[in-house]
Amino acid sequence: MNRIATLACLLLLTPALDAHAAAIVGKPAPALEARDADGKTVRLDAYKGKYVVLEWVNRQCPFVRKHYGSGNMQSLQKKYTEKGVVWLSVCSSAPGKQGYVQGPEAKEWMAEEKAAPTDFLLDPKGKVGKAYGAKTTPHIFVIDPKGKVVYNGAIDDKPSTDREDIETARNYLSAALDASMAGKKVEVAATQPYGCSVKY
Amino acid sequence: MWAPTMLLALSLNPPGASAANVEASLISERPSVAPGVPFHVGIRMRIRRGWHIYWRNPGDSGLPPRITWTLPKGFAAGPIEWPIPGRSEENNLVTYGYDRDVILSVRITPPATIHATSITIAGKLDWLECAEICLPGSARLWRSLPVSPGPGVRTPEAAVIAAARARLPAGPEGWAFSAEAGPRAIALDFVPPKGIAPREAYFFVDKPLVTEHATPQGLERTKRGYRVTLARAANAAGNLARLSGVLVIEDAGHARSRIGVNVDVPVSRGNPAYRAPTKPSNRNRQGERS
Repeated sequence: MNRIATLACLLLLTPALDAHAAAIVGKPAPALEARDADGKTVRLDAYKGKYVVLEWVNRQCPFVRKHYGSGNMQSLQKKYTEKGVVWLSVCSSAPGKQGYVQGPEAKEWMAEEKAAPTDFLLDPKGKVGKAYGAKTTPHIFVIDPKGKVVYNGAIDDKPSTDREDIETARNYLSAALDASMAGKKVEVAATQPYGCSVKY
Repeated sequence: MWAPTMLLALSLNPPGASAANVEASLISERPSVAPGVPFHVGIRMRIRRGWHIYWRNPGDSGLPPRITWTLPKGFAAGPIEWPIPGRSEENNLVTYGYDRDVILSVRITPPATIHATSITIAGKLDWLECAEICLPGSARLWRSLPVSPGPGVRTPEAAVIAAARARLPAGPEGWAFSAEAGPRAIALDFVPPKGIAPREAYFFVDKPLVTEHATPQGLERTKRGYRVTLARAANAAGNLARLSGVLVIEDAGHARSRIGVNVDVPVSRGNPAYRAPTKPSNRNRQGERS
């Protein structure tokens, strides 16, 4: 009887929980384990004690190209990794879908773009993306040294594919990292991400 | 023969532009402008099959079309009047938009006096068109109209705009709405006017970070009317003061008729339960719009 009840509960709860799987601001970040472009296994808990940025990427998406074509993403990557922040670019495009890459291609693209993340993670089954509730490319998550989510959302406040908008945009990622690293409260901790849908 | 036909074609067809899959143009309800008399223009977007554009709240991804007007001195443009959107689901991500040809109507108010014999309504339209992939689109639209005090003849374009405006979500007159929100769910209670019996309902929330778009909405009967329940967004910001958007229902009495109603109500604090629908709703999908 109990087992049936438990099973019924699980069956009832599972879809709702799935749909709700997300990185919630103020809560511990979902576990993360994925292969990087070199085939090495990367785990989030290995970076405890450091700030971690997760950036969802699809190199063919016009919103991603806005931030790479302008050099904006690369300069953010350089600026913050120099301050000891761990920056993980994550690609959740499924095989055959737009933006899908395997290791060597990912490395080639990073070299071409002079991208400077700490690592590039391959998530072709969308396991990491779905655990975090990654919806768009780009979609940004910031995790503090205790492993708590301090930001979930858009890279900035100008949802467009126009490179010209970058200069006048308010960058939420920088604002969240700067505030959190200075021991201050993150003013805008959750926003609606903008971009192409993640190609699960 | 060639040259005059070409000229005629050029003067009759206002300039539009096409990205790869969406063709945009500007149409006018009136062939001329009368000082002080408001009229509507329509941003007509012809969408290639398999592609879509977005509603004012695009949902989990995408961008709504945006227009930046360049108007003669003293003219004012109202907001875009958004037609009832459709819902599209892919890989547990839900977006709201249009996958058929659509008219985005806008009210233009001319000043009381116009010191010109003709004027030009112009705008730069930007949009995002998506199928499996997304492409940004952009077009400069303009329409020159003579200034004439009379109402002018009705053009075929007037009928197109009138038909589109007749299908816009209605005001809430005749409906009663109230809303309640808690940490897990938002409940929208409504009583429709007599004679309307909702068979399906979907609430298109028009603000970000309010609900989880991909979580199915529940519809149940209540003592006085109906209740739609929405799952609260995982990263919802604090208390919800108002709930706004468009409620779309399928009327049991009229097969395939979709009714849209504008909703903007204060939200009381409570703890409503999220109730999953008893069967997955297939209504309100894009492509079901008539």
